[in-house]
Amino acid sequence: MTWLFLPILIAAAVAAYVGGRALARRRGRSLPAGERSHSRPGQHGAYALIWTVVPALVVLMGASVFSPNIERQLTASGAPEAVQQLEPFRREAFFADARAVGAGRPAVQIWPAPYAELLPTEGQRASRIGQMLDLGAIVGAALAALLGALFVFGQIRPGMRARNRVEGWIVGLLFACSAVAVLTTVGIIASLVYDSLRFFSTVPLAEFLFGTQWSPQTAIRADQVGSTGAFGALPLFVGTFLIMLIAMAVAAPVGLFSAIYLSEYAGPIFRATVKPVLEILAGVPTVVYGFFAALTVGPAFREFFNGLGALMVGGPLDGLGQYLMLVQNQMALVAGAVMGIMLIPFVSSLSDDIINAVPQSLRDGSYAMGATKSETVKRVLLPAALPGVAGAMLLAMSRAIGETMIVTMAAGLAARLTLNPLDTVTTVTVQIVTLLTGDQEFNSPKTLSAFGLGLTLFLVTLVLNIVAQRIVQTYRQQYD
Amino acid sequence: MKFNLFRAADGTEGGGSPAGPPVIAAPPVVHSSAPMGPTKIAARDVSVFYSGKQALYDVTLDIPDKTVTALIGPSGCGKSTFLRTMNRMNDTIPGAKVTGRIEMDGEDINAKSVDPVLLRARVGMVFQKPNPFPKTIYENVAYGPRIHGLAASKSELDSVVEASLKRAGLWEEVADRLHSPGTGLSGGQQQRLVIARAIAVEPEVILMDEPCSALDPIATAKIEELIDELRERYCIVIVTHSMAQAARVSQRTAFFHMGRLVETGDTEDIFTNPRERRTLDYITGRFG
Repeated sequence: MTWLFLPILIAAAVAAYVGGRALARRRGRSLPAGERSHSRPGQHGAYALIWTVVPALVVLMGASVFSPNIERQLTASGAPEAVQQLEPFRREAFFADARAVGAGRPAVQIWPAPYAELLPTEGQRASRIGQMLDLGAIVGAALAALLGALFVFGQIRPGMRARNRVEGWIVGLLFACSAVAVLTTVGIIASLVYDSLRFFSTVPLAEFLFGTQWSPQTAIRADQVGSTGAFGALPLFVGTFLIMLIAMAVAAPVGLFSAIYLSEYAGPIFRATVKPVLEILAGVPTVVYGFFAALTVGPAFREFFNGLGALMVGGPLDGLGQYLMLVQNQMALVAGAVMGIMLIPFVSSLSDDIINAVPQSLRDGSYAMGATKSETVKRVLLPAALPGVAGAMLLAMSRAIGETMIVTMAAGLAARLTLNPLDTVTTVTVQIVTLLTGDQEFNSPKTLSAFGLGLTLFLVTLVLNIVAQRIVQTYRQQYD
Repeated sequence: MKFNLFRAADGTEGGGSPAGPPVIAAPPVVHSSAPMGPTKIAARDVSVFYSGKQALYDVTLDIPDKTVTALIGPSGCGKSTFLRTMNRMNDTIPGAKVTGRIEMDGEDINAKSVDPVLLRARVGMVFQKPNPFPKTIYENVAYGPRIHGLAASKSELDSVVEASLKRAGLWEEVADRLHSPGTGLSGGQQQRLVIARAIAVEPEVILMDEPCSALDPIATAKIEELIDELRERYCIVIVTHSMAQAARVSQRTAFFHMGRLVETGDTEDIFTNPRERRTLDYITGRFG
């Protein structure tokens, strides 16, 4: 209903602009010869437009925020005694069905005796209230637009600084847009903290951080196995850390060396081809890496280790052989290795930019001393680029810690406290995914523990990013 | 004999362009009477191409040992290009090609048997902008000796570093902070640091590419003094935009224009009695 008002508002806006411009022109003519109006007619028009549209929009927004609540109260207070005595959420359901019946659709629930009869009349009453409120919002908006227009048209005169005032509104609009991003982040953090606090009121922080048992499945019936639930997240942290280490062991050297090759050795044509390709690779969705890990790398690794184990069984390393023969698809090594491959383009591209930013004069200086390329790389370029490269590595680590899809598909779900890369482990992100997918009850510690994990993850990556930036800033060499 | 025609009292270049032909001005500077050594580097018909575009045309020039040779000329005249042929730094630029023959002590430096890396240890280079490595002062000077294995022990390395810094006139200023970063020094100190770095490997030739263009007048005066001292031990080739500097520090001058060597001779002759019209125009400031 309200949206019907929008074309009217747009028309009013156009009218305000045109009218404001014309009025400014006319009032400008009364100026003595040789004097000019402070702002141009179009700017007066724009100012009139703003004062017409903004009050109307404010009223509409206010109405859309407050009217559901008002509507709920009005409908409830006028309802028969029986309806008023329902629990709030049942009353909501009743009016939802009442509106449906009033509009000729069937009710969702089956309502018992007094209510079933009330449905059609109450439905009509409720929708009348809704219509009244909508109409009220539109009338209010129209009034606001009118008042705004009256105000602004009274203001238009040659000395008015419409130019600067419009500029002020534009600054305000731009600021509001940038504030949205910041405020959203603040909101996310606030919700994380709020729900985490609820979680930590049931599970002590120390148990969460240092407990070694993770089994969040709380039972529905008291007599079920594992009814208590255990929220020691240490195995998750260790699993995350292990996979991150494996990923960095793959990504750091390979990425760095490929960056060195690209920036120092490769010819311009090779570089111009490979660099964009690397950057495209960095954009491959992680779920693709995920099934690559789960369906290709995992089985290949398992077969390799099983085969290796079969060779050892019966020999001096019989125990190890027995163990290797039982290794499964899902292991930290697979998830870590594939995550490392995912991070190679990221590390390589960042490091390449950083190495390239080292001034040519340092290379020249080193070559002129009789140093070879690799000596120059090792002794001059890498030390000069080290802060930046360290920053790139920390960023890669923070990505590895936050990465979800690959580990969900390839690492497994068992929360084991182990540093064995052949074991199946689970990570913080995987647990958040499993905790929050599907139907959930939003006040059990099981679900809330996801927020505790999320907050921990957020804090760790935040600290990593801050440290990365600090390193880059503190050790940045000044070249000018 | 040297002339301080362009020298202002504070060591800066004399302001605007002198209008007439250069005037001989007394008194001569004492150090210029030092004897010149035999020919150290002989260039014969050297041309340089960058990606097919010719930057230097058939330059033939003898550079004497234990002498400062100045290469002067307007921007883009090929003087820096020529300088970079003498330690084969052009090899590091993709698409650069050098033709002709350059001999050092009678040996062709472009021969296949010559390793440019070893050549550059014999021919040091100082650049326009001071480029100390992001290391400590000590490590900057020790860089060359370490790469080339010139010092067998820590104490030997210490003495090489000390001697080089002393010879570069920097020792007194940095002796107490050898292990602080070289990039923390002032511009003039940095330039003397890279000179110390260059002489730490005992080169025979030092090439300087506008070594004072990024420095203030006082730092410039110090570097010029240093160049004059170094002349006793090394063959020095300096590219400079400042004719006053060429007049002050060099014994030989070569004037380049449009990629060609126009004129070469003793500095005093070039500045008082140039044979070529273009040289006269340039040194009197009519172009460039």
